[in-house]
Amino acid sequence: MSWRRWLAMGEVELSCLAYVKMYLHACLFPRCSVNGLLLSSSPAGGAVCVTDCVPLLHTHLPLAPITQLALTQVDVWCAQTQQRIVGYYQANACVSDSSPTPCALKIADKIAEQCNNAVLLMIDGGKMSPDYRVPPIVMYERKDTRWTLKDKHTIMLRQWEETRDIASQLLDSGDHSLLVDFDSHLDDITRDWTNQKLNAKIAELASPANGNV
Amino acid sequence: GHYCLDINVLIIVFTEMRDKLRKWREDNHRNSEQIVDVGEELINEHASKLGDDIWIIYEQVMIAALDCSRDDLAWTCLQELKKQFPGSQRVKRLAGMRLEALEKYEDASKQYDSILQDDPTNTAARKRKISILKAQGKSAEAIRELNEYLEQFVGDQEAWHELSELYINEHDYGKAAFCLEELMMTNPHNHLYCEQYAEVKYTQGGLENLELSRKYFAQALKLNNGNMRALFGLYMSASHIAASPKVNATVKKANVKYAAWATNQINRAYQVTKTNQLPVEELLLRSS
Repeated sequence: MSWRRWLAMGEVELSCLAYVKMYLHACLFPRCSVNGLLLSSSPAGGAVCVTDCVPLLHTHLPLAPITQLALTQVDVWCAQTQQRIVGYYQANACVSDSSPTPCALKIADKIAEQCNNAVLLMIDGGKMSPDYRVPPIVMYERKDTRWTLKDKHTIMLRQWEETRDIASQLLDSGDHSLLVDFDSHLDDITRDWTNQKLNAKIAELASPANGNV
Repeated sequence: GHYCLDINVLIIVFTEMRDKLRKWREDNHRNSEQIVDVGEELINEHASKLGDDIWIIYEQVMIAALDCSRDDLAWTCLQELKKQFPGSQRVKRLAGMRLEALEKYEDASKQYDSILQDDPTNTAARKRKISILKAQGKSAEAIRELNEYLEQFVGDQEAWHELSELYINEHDYGKAAFCLEELMMTNPHNHLYCEQYAEVKYTQGGLENLELSRKYFAQALKLNNGNMRALFGLYMSASHIAASPKVNATVKKANVKYAAWATNQINRAYQVTKTNQLPVEELLLRSS
């Protein structure tokens, strides 16, 4: 409760759940560009709290049909679960380049139409080693009509070390393969793109019983 | 008694492991982690029983190890192969792949150049050089090299597909479509090429392209009625055409039917799975 009150306007909080799933998504498809949507279960207005994410694609990111389909499906699901789409993330296949691609900007623009402090998050592949001291992410915000780099100090990740360790644990145990993105769902529709199973595993690792959070 | 039982179990386990690796090779599996697990044990515990199979296993395990960032294992395999096959082009290529995995791109490229010096027709080395360009983010050069390559080796499916992917990432949908047309011509029964072509056409937009996309989504479904992307694609393209002010009543009616059929099929598919079931009709309302 009080943490959110301390976040000033313009600050973005990233939950453990959202970060871990994004990170695992990038790790699951190391030779591909991957993307996904950032969600919030907090009401609009005030600071942006990214509480969850939905991994979308690992193939053909610039193509329209599946992206449109995924955006609308997630939209419908959000309406049912009292969440909102508040941003977009992407990790480029080419790890030396963490700048947003035209398709990233396009999708982020679309999201910004519905959510005026939407965030665009790029995962910096070059910084993704397991014991990295700071989160390997770069955030952009929309100023006028352009996406500009956000000051690192306004991105909050509660208990970064614990979060980072949870991600490593899941990688080591092979549980990262539990992650389902929208592409994988279309390959086999019995797989759940809302990732209930993985969410439960992450919650378990993050619980006070495990000495975390 | 007890000792004999162990040996028999060991032989069964070993045979299963060896057969697993063979199957994965034949199926072209990239379950690298599994291959590393099985392969490493096989090499460490049962090398003497493998006979000549061991060399191809070393190669397979090495490639998988590179995928899993297990350079220690990859290095071991490479040394064994170098000892057994000194001067081999195939082993040189593996050495190059290892350098690529370590992101030592200049060294890797030199390795492939040395192969091409001895054997200018070595297509594998040529293609690896192109994937280095890709990894370095040098898309324009990769595209140029791949086009040159395809002028000589016009039947190389993998190369055509690789080129289509590069064009898609550069948002050059016209050229991506051309590559996919080549692939569809030579592989008329491949539902994936039809479906990808349809996606490119849909992305290009405009009524004509939308109609083409609908046709090719439908074609992909004919070839494989389990292709969910094609099914959703058919639904979306037909719905958009039906909603367009530019179509006459006949076309509108036909597309409404296609969309309805697709809706039905989608609902049936999700009835079976029960996961992620969402009302399909809601989708179109928001998808423009």
